[in-house]
Amino acid sequence: MPLPAKAFQHWLHSVAPAMSTADICRISGVKRTTLAQQLVRGKVAESSVVSISRALGLNPLDGLASFESYAGLTGPSRPPTPAELVSQIATTDLLHAVIARTAPGATPTPALRPAPHATSVRNWVDAIDDGDLRHRVSAATGIAPQNFSAQLTANRLSPELAVATSRAAAVGFTGGLVATGLITEAEAGWPPGARQAALDALSDGELTVLAGDRLQALGRTLRRQEQEQAQTEKIWENLG
Amino acid sequence: MIEILQWSTLAVCGALAAARIPSARRGENRLLFGILLLMTLAILLSMRAPYVAIDQVLGGRNLANLILRFIIFGAILLVGIRVARAFGASRALKLITGRAGAVALAVAGVAVIVTFLFMDTAGSSAGLVAVAAKDARNAALVEYYGAAGRLYPSYVALVLLPATIGVLRSRLPALIRSAALLLAVGAVAIALSLLFPVIPPELGILRFIVNYTAVLCYVLGLALIWIAKLRAHPSPRNRRPDPAATAPD
Repeated sequence: MPLPAKAFQHWLHSVAPAMSTADICRISGVKRTTLAQQLVRGKVAESSVVSISRALGLNPLDGLASFESYAGLTGPSRPPTPAELVSQIATTDLLHAVIARTAPGATPTPALRPAPHATSVRNWVDAIDDGDLRHRVSAATGIAPQNFSAQLTANRLSPELAVATSRAAAVGFTGGLVATGLITEAEAGWPPGARQAALDALSDGELTVLAGDRLQALGRTLRRQEQEQAQTEKIWENLG
Repeated sequence: MIEILQWSTLAVCGALAAARIPSARRGENRLLFGILLLMTLAILLSMRAPYVAIDQVLGGRNLANLILRFIIFGAILLVGIRVARAFGASRALKLITGRAGAVALAVAGVAVIVTFLFMDTAGSSAGLVAVAAKDARNAALVEYYGAAGRLYPSYVALVLLPATIGVLRSRLPALIRSAALLLAVGAVAIALSLLFPVIPPELGILRFIVNYTAVLCYVLGLALIWIAKLRAHPSPRNRRPDPAATAPD
């Protein structure tokens, strides 16, 4: 649920009283037409607040927490669990780690790429799912389970759902916001190197199984895409 | 109302056929061009003024109407084969090109010809309205003739419907799914034409709406697929020549 325009105007006035909307858009990189449209519709996207907060040198989390629907974000958050941290490591980085452990010294291990990655949303939900999470999120927010799944498949999750998912899983609320790319790890207050430390703490067996699961999921996605591509080509060949 | 529907359908069909002339000259999917041409011709023959003009040339015995039936059969057969192949519907393809399809086509074709021969067809009249008005026997024959003419298109449309709905519900690109939706609506419209005998005469306009909806949906559905293809693969004319392809060997 995006933020009410009235509350947004109020917030903007309190954090940047002297600046015009044009100035705000210029420094934050939010397109003027985009923001104007959001204001006209009465719903401002969370990402606009995040961009403006960054431009003003404020922590985006504090910016979001000024709004009623995100009031819970203020105050110290529970730190991410090791599983959440590992879920935000890209599959290729996990594979690099597997190689580095099985053939040490063969290739230098590159530094982990920053979150989010191509499947970070689904991997995050899988990392915190006790088997019943999707039903609890669906019961708490009213979203149909298949719509929730569709968002995960598209590697998307609205900020509101991300927070609701964290809440339903009883984990810190920053994980979902990082996984969806709304805020960075640093903005979430994750210590630098936290993901690398979580990765290093995995045993060889755990790491290999995890990398295998990721590869299998990737393989399924690629196979499906190839099938759909072949189907599309067939349609074009016959009817295009 | 009916005139507007007829002329706009003709315009859409003709424009799309014309738009495909360049690609057809390059040899790309000429059959699709042929299908559009057949559909344009069919619409032309279903309109009063062109129908009478053409039928007069053919001797004024409503032979044009019989030709129209077979143009429709041909167009629907070609569309059916192509759609079934495109959507990977091997069962539908078998039902169209296999024994069942051949029997359906033969039964419909023979029934159309036989009823036509028994009619007193003198005097060009679009939709055989004047023929039906002659007497009760001719009226009944025109009714059977029309039913036989709708039988085969409805058969093909119903055979294609499951595969079309399958594509509609798939995760293929949005343009292709929109095209599948149009094809599905067209197929339902053709199938609904089987119910024409129970439509009361005062609602006769419904027949026209259903017929032209079917044609428009099919033609626009095919156009959408073409647009999707052009977007994904720009035609060779607009593509920069590939040096490897033109290099002498």
